[in-house]
Amino acid sequence: MRAKLKRLSGYIWVLPALIVLGIFVYLPLIQNFGFSVTEWDIYSGEQTFVGADNYAKMFSDPIFWTSLWNNLWYAVISIIMQVFGALALAATIESLRRDRWRRMLRAIYFVPSAISLTVAGLLFYFIYEPNVGMLNSVLEGIGLGAFAQPWLGLESTAIWGIIAMSQWQGFGYCTLLFAVAIQRIPSELYEAASIDGVGPIRRFFQITMPLVREMTALMMIVTISGAFQVFNEVMVMTSGGPNNSSQVLATWLYRNGFVKNDFGYAAAVAVVIFAVTLGIALFQLWITRRRRVEW
Amino acid sequence: MYPRKMAQALTAVAATALVLTGCASGGGDTAAVDITADPEYSGTISILTKFGGEPLGPFFENAAAAYTELHPDVDFELIQETDQSVKDKTKTLTASQALPDIYFTWTGDWAENFIEAGLAADLTPVIAPDTEWGSTFGEASLDAFKYDGKYFAIPLYNNGKFMGYNTAIFDELGLDVPETFEGLIEACGVIKDAGYEPIAFGNKDGWPGLHYLQQLFAYNVPTGELKADFVPETATLDHEGYVKSMNEFKTLVDECTNTGEGSNGVLYTTSQQAMADGKAAMYYQEILEFDTINAEGNVVNGQGFDIFKLPVPEDAAGDAQAIEGSPEGYLINSKSPRAALAVDFMKFVTNMENATIMASPPYGQPSTVIDAVSAESSSPAVIEGIEQVNEASQIVIWLDTVTVPDVAFAWLAGGEGLVSGSMTAENVLESVRAASESAK
Repeated sequence: MRAKLKRLSGYIWVLPALIVLGIFVYLPLIQNFGFSVTEWDIYSGEQTFVGADNYAKMFSDPIFWTSLWNNLWYAVISIIMQVFGALALAATIESLRRDRWRRMLRAIYFVPSAISLTVAGLLFYFIYEPNVGMLNSVLEGIGLGAFAQPWLGLESTAIWGIIAMSQWQGFGYCTLLFAVAIQRIPSELYEAASIDGVGPIRRFFQITMPLVREMTALMMIVTISGAFQVFNEVMVMTSGGPNNSSQVLATWLYRNGFVKNDFGYAAAVAVVIFAVTLGIALFQLWITRRRRVEW
Repeated sequence: MYPRKMAQALTAVAATALVLTGCASGGGDTAAVDITADPEYSGTISILTKFGGEPLGPFFENAAAAYTELHPDVDFELIQETDQSVKDKTKTLTASQALPDIYFTWTGDWAENFIEAGLAADLTPVIAPDTEWGSTFGEASLDAFKYDGKYFAIPLYNNGKFMGYNTAIFDELGLDVPETFEGLIEACGVIKDAGYEPIAFGNKDGWPGLHYLQQLFAYNVPTGELKADFVPETATLDHEGYVKSMNEFKTLVDECTNTGEGSNGVLYTTSQQAMADGKAAMYYQEILEFDTINAEGNVVNGQGFDIFKLPVPEDAAGDAQAIEGSPEGYLINSKSPRAALAVDFMKFVTNMENATIMASPPYGQPSTVIDAVSAESSSPAVIEGIEQVNEASQIVIWLDTVTVPDVAFAWLAGGEGLVSGSMTAENVLESVRAASESAK
């Protein structure tokens, strides 16, 4: 009886969190599925069931595919830069002998992450600005004026300008997390490898990478999910333009809901974002479920 | 077993979702409010304005404070947004059925959505031209919000689009105000050779480009066809004036701006600043912007600021006397329990004293109240702008609010494509026709 009560009390303790999650996360999620199969007139409040029409419309919508591709590029570049690039940088920083240098470099790389995305977006908007922007001035200053571009004003360069800003902003944060994971690896492993004549690059692949696998998996999930939820920086820097070339799924959702009044279609785009991020997260968890490395 | 369980779970989720969203349910009607009733001077009036930020922000704050001084039991919840953010805020509040007592509106399709859905109170008994309050407004301003013979909005200020120019640069280069669009393009070459930016242009938000296009459409497309083309059910969009206008706009972007194809990467506020700093000779702007650009302390204020209507192209088949613009106003929420009080507050906001304050610097908003814009209250440019608007044969409403959102969005993307050079005028027209067709 006592044991049963004790078990029940556990449920009681988690109940408030479950209720809050249910109301603020899962209920809107379920509601969104409902909205995605309706045509919703926000003015009259009338919702008409349209079945899979919004999904059919979405798959024949070229801007939806442009958005999806932009998100995919965002994810691929973010994985290269913010997962593998950050891991390599963290390993390099942690291999420095002097602690003062390590701390200073960690701080330097982390500073951009402390800036809000909106502020960073605005900052880079002015760096890219064709009239007074720093990037074009620097290019001209070093004799590369021929490469100066209205970076955010051209369909061919706008999304890449945004992705580059995002890497600058997120790189330091990932580096810091990897640095913490590397610090947890016992130094004896590196010392033994050094005595055996193993060089720094092989040590990185044979010791560091396997022992930070969990952190790498986590960072990949976070990075890919983040890449499919990107919104602020695009809105601040290009609003999805020019001519929809830098739309991502979240801004396309927003455009449909708040500009075109098509909230049902916007909900269908939201379902796709949810499905993609959930699918990727489940896949990542599945392939990294191998036993944890113990030491 | 597993797929069956999965299917059951999905069915349950879908069913729950439909129940939770209340599919096929309407917004629900409430009894019509009596706006003619004597207001009860207590409670909180909520207002969504488009006066967010400086220098406009204090106008409604001060008016609300003055009203509270007269009626101590009345207080205010002010939601002040900017030109861009008010669109999103209004739609969020509409979708969540939380519209304030008084809310901002443009003319055209924007206002019609609220009126048709019964979200705007019919103000005819208090604001029709033959009423005491209505007779204080210019009739054309009231008519801009007239639907099916009823008046729905309180027009707060007029607006129109003009080319502002730096008179010192024009004098220095011996230029006169161009009389034709082709003359304007020629003048751009002279200004550019002298080292100035002829026309500052920032199209990051898309609508600055649409403002040029709409004025050129009014010049190049016969009025009847143009108006029919705003409505998907009657649109054909096959007049040659559209392609002509878009090509003229593209010429202007290429010949008259320093940023050319990259103008989509420039904010309109950056262009404003270029004009204010005396770096650009011209900037296409609304009357509402005159006093901001020509404010005391700005370089252009010391050099000289004047305006002219965008010159008419040769062989224009439309209305050469039309000016693009429209009054902007406020609707009263038809479901507001304080509608009568809201009307009383808007009477207070539009009395001669407050209308004059609004028309004077630093606000410089050309009030729709008769005689509020005068030499004593307003800058010469604002007075000239308003006079030209009053003399125009017609006011052509902004392209992004006059038509349905799908078509407006197609114009917006097409305008950006024209600027960047990725779309031809024919491509743009084709995409707009497709959007109009699917919006029928």
